[in-house]
Amino acid sequence: MIKDSIIEVKNVTFEYSNSEKTKTVIENFSLNIVRGSFTVILGHNGSGKSTLAKLLNGLYKPDSGDVLVDGINTKDEKYELEVKRRVGMVFQNPDNQLLASVVEEDVAFGPENLGLSPQEIRNRVDSSLKAVDMYDFRKNAPHHLSGGQKQRIAIAGIIAMEPECIVLDEPTAMLDPKGRKEIIKTIEKLNKEKNITVILITHFMEEAQNADRVIVMNDGAVYADDTPINVFSDAQMLKNVGLDVPQTTELLLSLKNSGFNVDTKNISIEETADTILKAFHSEGI
Amino acid sequence: MLKDITFGQYFDTKSIVHSLDPRIKILLLILQIVFIFITKNIYALLLAFLFVLLSVIFTKVPIKIYLKNFKAILPIIIFTALINLFYTNEGKELFGFWKLTLTTGGIYKAFYFALRIVLLIAISSVLTYTTTPNDLTDAIERLLSPLKILGLKNAVHTLAMMMTIALRFIPTLVEETQKIMNAQKARGADFENGRLKEKINALIPILIPLLISSVRRAYELAEAMECRCYSVNGDRQRMKILKCSAKDLFAFLFCLIFCLGIAILNYLF
Amino acid sequence: MQPILEVKNLTHTYDESTPFSFDAVNDVSFSVFQGEIIGIIGHTGSGKSTLVQHLNGLIKPSSGKILYNGTDIWEKPKEIKKIRSEIGLVFQYPEYQLFEETVYKDIAFGPKNMGLDGEELDKRIRDICSLLEINNEYLDKSPFDLSGGEKRRIAIAGVMAMNPKVIIFDEPIAGLDPIGRKSVIKMIEDYRKRYNATVIIISHNMEDMAQLADKLLVMNKGKLIKFDTVANVFGDDQTLKSIGLNVPIVTKVFSNLKEKGFPVSKKIFTIEDAVSYLLELKERGEHFA
Repeated sequence: MIKDSIIEVKNVTFEYSNSEKTKTVIENFSLNIVRGSFTVILGHNGSGKSTLAKLLNGLYKPDSGDVLVDGINTKDEKYELEVKRRVGMVFQNPDNQLLASVVEEDVAFGPENLGLSPQEIRNRVDSSLKAVDMYDFRKNAPHHLSGGQKQRIAIAGIIAMEPECIVLDEPTAMLDPKGRKEIIKTIEKLNKEKNITVILITHFMEEAQNADRVIVMNDGAVYADDTPINVFSDAQMLKNVGLDVPQTTELLLSLKNSGFNVDTKNISIEETADTILKAFHSEGI
Repeated sequence: MLKDITFGQYFDTKSIVHSLDPRIKILLLILQIVFIFITKNIYALLLAFLFVLLSVIFTKVPIKIYLKNFKAILPIIIFTALINLFYTNEGKELFGFWKLTLTTGGIYKAFYFALRIVLLIAISSVLTYTTTPNDLTDAIERLLSPLKILGLKNAVHTLAMMMTIALRFIPTLVEETQKIMNAQKARGADFENGRLKEKINALIPILIPLLISSVRRAYELAEAMECRCYSVNGDRQRMKILKCSAKDLFAFLFCLIFCLGIAILNYLF
Repeated sequence: MQPILEVKNLTHTYDESTPFSFDAVNDVSFSVFQGEIIGIIGHTGSGKSTLVQHLNGLIKPSSGKILYNGTDIWEKPKEIKKIRSEIGLVFQYPEYQLFEETVYKDIAFGPKNMGLDGEELDKRIRDICSLLEINNEYLDKSPFDLSGGEKRRIAIAGVMAMNPKVIIFDEPIAGLDPIGRKSVIKMIEDYRKRYNATVIIISHNMEDMAQLADKLLVMNKGKLIKFDTVANVFGDDQTLKSIGLNVPIVTKVFSNLKEKGFPVSKKIFTIEDAVSYLLELKERGEHFA
């Protein structure tokens, strides 16, 4: 076991088959996730990223190879529930993850399944709702909440199980910009303050800006694996796999092609503005 | 149209009835229904009326809301009353008309049976207006828990889980139906005009998308539940502890006094 | 010139005469001319979706009027079906309304409801599919065997097959990945070019709006806040900020430059504008630092 990795994916192959054909979604895939890190997985639809997510907590079992969570093999039936507790999962559609008509009862669902004492469940529900800033809504009905609020309830339901790691499979795809910001803020906070390992699957570039590591997936394999800044400034690579190039990178690249002397390795708005200023200063203007 | 479905409505007026243990409320409701049914005379029924009226007042839910309830079942009440009015041949004959005769006994019975239906509905509303659907489900599961000893543990638990999920998804599905209807209308579908057969055919573009999306929802929900460590055979704990308090004992005694009263009045007259 | 669509003092009140009543759309007036692309922006719950469902007569206004080519669409309530075929509406996540056994039949649903059949119907479907680059091999497949992005394309084609003169999209790219997004935007552009159609799009993606739209309509809490050219709407970033809406990232970069003392005298919201503006500055070589 490599020291300090929470999840180890070792030479995993996963096939999806129906009556007509068998399709290999993930092939000979290996990956280590460092404890406490914030990893973003990018890729277009069908690149295998959702399948990978479901392999990480044992919802899917590899056809060959192994997935280890804290050293426990996800194939080990004895630890089935323990693996799912340690690696929590949040899905795309917030409506289809909530099952109770009262917010706090929904958040309690996970801890109730763990067989904790009523008092302990109560404590965890309260602290989880506070962590996602939804405590004031604990008595509300989910269908009266906005998409972003529902998704935060879903996250609270997961952290109430006190997982080591959370995998979020396109949690913002169905949300408006406001809801998206709420979710990303919440995830970043959980990573920093509670030291929960985060694996965020998305195709929104701006959500990956503050990650420790960005993995680009294509055809069930790792296409790029680097820091956000290195991934985002590689416009050609992003275009190859059908992903968007961040607007700031696109702007700086266009300027460079028009003869400006700019460093294209910048992603934030502030840095981009500074880079343009610097280019003008260096021209002596 | 679809929004008018108000089954299981809950009014949070924070009354003493709200704070009772839902298990006690269900048991007392059953007790009341039995006693309203066994009233043998108008005196016993009037006592039951007094009890129901007091219960209604204790809920602090406006009487108007209870009355609204009766609007929907008014035809049934009238029908029951009319049948009794004209098909009872007791007491003094007031007047005859064609094959129908109106007697004092008829008036008495019409009033008696109509009042009984009203009371049954009102006392049931007291329960649903003051108890959230979740609490009801929860209470039913716990009341049925003795069945677990008979090896029906999973059945009781699964039933309760199904009710919880159904309650959660009713508003979602109502909304979705409306959305699909509008989308098909935008494609020229017509749900209002045409013969019965055409109208039935017009439902297909609504029902199929609704069915498919429900299956998808069910599948996704099942995966999400699995990810939250749910297993049918697991030993689930509950966050909420239901405890009977002095209030519940008081409610029970209050109810018992009335039941006793009804029994005595039944015996006396 | 007469506008193709004219909205006059439109108000829609939900749950009228109850304590929960609120105005989802509040006294909104605007005109759209033939061939324009109008973008509608605003938060979830700002009344955008309610507004567009009035435009093709799915919802009746509580007060106010919608004129199509100068005639009130509710003048003859029996003919509202005809209005719905001339003013098409593509709902959010339209793939959830697919129901037929084959893609062909599903695309045919709209035109059939309009009374088309036989060869005319077949030609209509083939035409729209060739315009939208939907391969013939797809037509006999079940729509449920397609990927999410493909389903979306088929659902949109189903509305376009009715050949509406005005076509409205409620967040057509929501939930799609970049490839899916580009293909849907291309469909919209192709359709508009071929039929010189008028297009109204609700979207949260400001970059796409900057690229696509001629004018933007800003909604907030049921009210029309601003209806103007893209340049003027994005130029007034104070208004957008005050209601919590975004501007394109390029515009944000230039606001930041301005704060740092850089002379930004133009409203910039696309990368092309930005590059040509900076080149112009550089060539002039003015001193400003």
